Amino acid sequence: MKLQDLINPAAAKELYLPVMAEIRDVRKLTELETLYTVALPGGAELGHQPGQFVAVSLFGVGEAPFSISSSPTRRGVFELGIRRVGMLTDVLAGCTAGRKIGIRGPFGRGIDVERFKGKDVLIVAGGIGLVPMRSMINYVLDRPGDFGRLIICYGSRSDRELLFTDELEKWRRNPNVDFRVTVDRGSPDWTGHTGVITTLIPGLNLDLDNLACCVCGPPVMYRFALLALRSRGVKEKDIWMSLERRMKCGVGKCGHCQINGSYVCQDGPVYHYPEIKALQEAL
Amino acid sequence: MVRFFLERDRVADLVKHLMERRTVYAPHRKGRRSFAFARTADPAAVVLDYPRTLHSVKKFFLPPREELLRFDLTDDTFAAGEPEPSGAAFLGVHSYDVAAVRRLDHNFSAGNAERNYLVRRQGAVFIGVGFEPDKFHFSGSVGIEPDDTAGCDAFLTKLLDGYVLEILTPTGRELLKGLELPPYEGNDPPAHPFQQHIYVPQSRLGRIMDKSYEHPVWAEASRTCVGCGTCNLVCPTCYCFDVQDHVDITATGGSRERTWDGCMLRGFSEVAGGEVFREGLPERQRHRVLRKFKYLSDTTGVPWCVGCGRCTAACPAGISIANIVNRLVGDAERTPVAPI
Amino acid sequence: MTRKPRVAIFDFTGCEGCELNQLNFEDQLLDILAHVDIVEWREAMDDRAGEYDIAFVEGSLSTPDCIKRIHDVRRRAKVLVALGTCAVTGGVNAVKNTRPIEEVREEVYGQDKYLFPTLPALPLSAVVKVDHNVRGCPMTQIEFLKVFTALVMGKRPIEPDYAVCVECKLRENECVLERGMICLGPVTRAGCDAHCPTVGQYCIGCRGLVSEPNIAGMEEILVDHGLSLDDARRRLQLYNANQLEGAK
Repeated sequence: MKLQDLINPAAAKELYLPVMAEIRDVRKLTELETLYTVALPGGAELGHQPGQFVAVSLFGVGEAPFSISSSPTRRGVFELGIRRVGMLTDVLAGCTAGRKIGIRGPFGRGIDVERFKGKDVLIVAGGIGLVPMRSMINYVLDRPGDFGRLIICYGSRSDRELLFTDELEKWRRNPNVDFRVTVDRGSPDWTGHTGVITTLIPGLNLDLDNLACCVCGPPVMYRFALLALRSRGVKEKDIWMSLERRMKCGVGKCGHCQINGSYVCQDGPVYHYPEIKALQEAL
Repeated sequence: MVRFFLERDRVADLVKHLMERRTVYAPHRKGRRSFAFARTADPAAVVLDYPRTLHSVKKFFLPPREELLRFDLTDDTFAAGEPEPSGAAFLGVHSYDVAAVRRLDHNFSAGNAERNYLVRRQGAVFIGVGFEPDKFHFSGSVGIEPDDTAGCDAFLTKLLDGYVLEILTPTGRELLKGLELPPYEGNDPPAHPFQQHIYVPQSRLGRIMDKSYEHPVWAEASRTCVGCGTCNLVCPTCYCFDVQDHVDITATGGSRERTWDGCMLRGFSEVAGGEVFREGLPERQRHRVLRKFKYLSDTTGVPWCVGCGRCTAACPAGISIANIVNRLVGDAERTPVAPI
Repeated sequence: MTRKPRVAIFDFTGCEGCELNQLNFEDQLLDILAHVDIVEWREAMDDRAGEYDIAFVEGSLSTPDCIKRIHDVRRRAKVLVALGTCAVTGGVNAVKNTRPIEEVREEVYGQDKYLFPTLPALPLSAVVKVDHNVRGCPMTQIEFLKVFTALVMGKRPIEPDYAVCVECKLRENECVLERGMICLGPVTRAGCDAHCPTVGQYCIGCRGLVSEPNIAGMEEILVDHGLSLDDARRRLQLYNANQLEGAK
């Protein structure tokens, strides 16, 4: 590639102006996480891929990226699962249905669902990594003919922090889903698996010749999840990873989300593992 | 190519001529011994013989602070910021700064093209001027000579008693029409040598950078680095920015503003919740240098450092990017180079 | 908004310059008063009230009585804001902490020293939970208004965590090091919009340090610019005695 010549501004779209959407529903998931149902004006579809994100803003407070938690197969509205960790999310936590919020996006490269088609789908989600992975899970569940088995490994710090508990129950009961959940530290009445998420992987029944796997979780999780998957014989080419970095613009301009030479907001957040294997800052 | 002779005494005529036709931005004195591009009101205040300005002309196309939109908190509406086309004549720009604009043009045109930059950049005319390299310039090592006219509409080269004015584009010819000057028929004025160099050609730098990831130079360079971000903020090719909302004291409205940001600052890679992805100064220093000599160069084929020397001249600790690169070069090529 | 937030202002050990600066907001005072009820403010009024939505507290803590009072303020305040560098880092007062406290008492009060109980000067955060900081000696009006507006809107104010150099460069100032001055801007926390360098003065570090400052690096820079190591340390200590090694 050479240096791109200066183009006419008339050919440039507005990158930083939000669309004013409306919060339709607010559902508390845990002490920290809330699920927001959002509608674009005029009933417009967001038109996203599982794994993509939007920039959410409240005027006077600021803007931040959030992964989309609903599947594109569920139309009319979309959902954002948001943890209270900063100023914007604090204020969002106080928002109720009817509140206007700014939306830009969808941004980034989501899961390349075409490459998952016909295969068993393994989702490895730690903590709020389940938020974007839920989009893929429901996408697979809504198109049962397109994919093989769905295997979900979900790890959480404690049972009190489990997200989407009603849906977890549905997945568990679904005969087409192999659903596994673990918590790092269970409360006294927790009867399920205890241990970090990687302890779920050795016990999985995997068809290594027909598998596509996507991993999403806290930064510390990736290396270990990768090791666990590789030691089970999962091929590098069958692994995708959804990464998080600081972002301001979502359109490849502000520079914050760079890992080595790659912009997470453009080349990610969902990377094919062979692409990031050589990026020292990725995992 | 048309060349004219501009006598020293007639430089003010050139400035006046430009001022009658366009807004003129040119180097002016700032503070005790610095220079800055500013709107010219008095032709006599323009300085064409200067080592480097504090900021490059980048500040006109990507302002240090820029309003992206204004919002009204009473009804949740907003109005987009309205950048104005510059349409100005930029007089007295050095070759490396024009080269830097060229790189910013790429950044804001490629991929998702950005309207704000492109609008501000519209109609800008560059009248370059040659420079005498000081101990910080090393643009020659990244392929940008002091008399490099690329990207300029006209160019001034210093003589003992004035300048050679070279007209390079139809825009330049049109703008300078009516300025009666004698043709210049002398020889090319002598080129000034550089005092600072990077000791390998750009074509070999990418490979050297590839091998440099774990090099001790990053830690060495960080010993006195205080992470103040100055090197980023004075760089003519740095374009990273932050965005924040500001609320008026009446709490009824405010603005969403973007501000220059820098990868040497600790908060640059910090996500909500406190995780800092590039925690240490060595990692940040490495990222800065690799962005200039590898990451962006790998995709565009040109170095993203234009050798202006600003980061080094402005660093409170005197950390030299050329010395860092030469240290890497020296080790890769097994030639001893003094520790930085 | 249901009712106006109740605001109180307190002062501990300090020069009260920050509070005076608040009173100087002639242009904005009416805007401020439109948003809040000021229920307690010794510097400007006599009323005393029970509890507050926001307490602004100026000064460092340097006597046993200060400690008692700050606990009382904390109990009664929903949000506590440290106002000015004394409250945030201990400020200039904390320079005394670099020497044994008895020696300081002796020097200041002489033979009457037993009449004046004194402690090392502490930032509020050493004793109670502080929700937000407004730094500066004195704090600037602009920054106070930013924090104030954020709190009135119910959001968390953003505290810059980068050096004064950033704001100085955004303003395209000539570096004062270039003028042969000794400047602490490279390690001092921004937020002042580089007020001093912009008017040609050097930064004395009045806003405290950025987080994880490279102090050894800064000392070396200062020595390179002509200070002795001792002088460099004293410069850095002026506002940061509690943060730097060597504070007792």
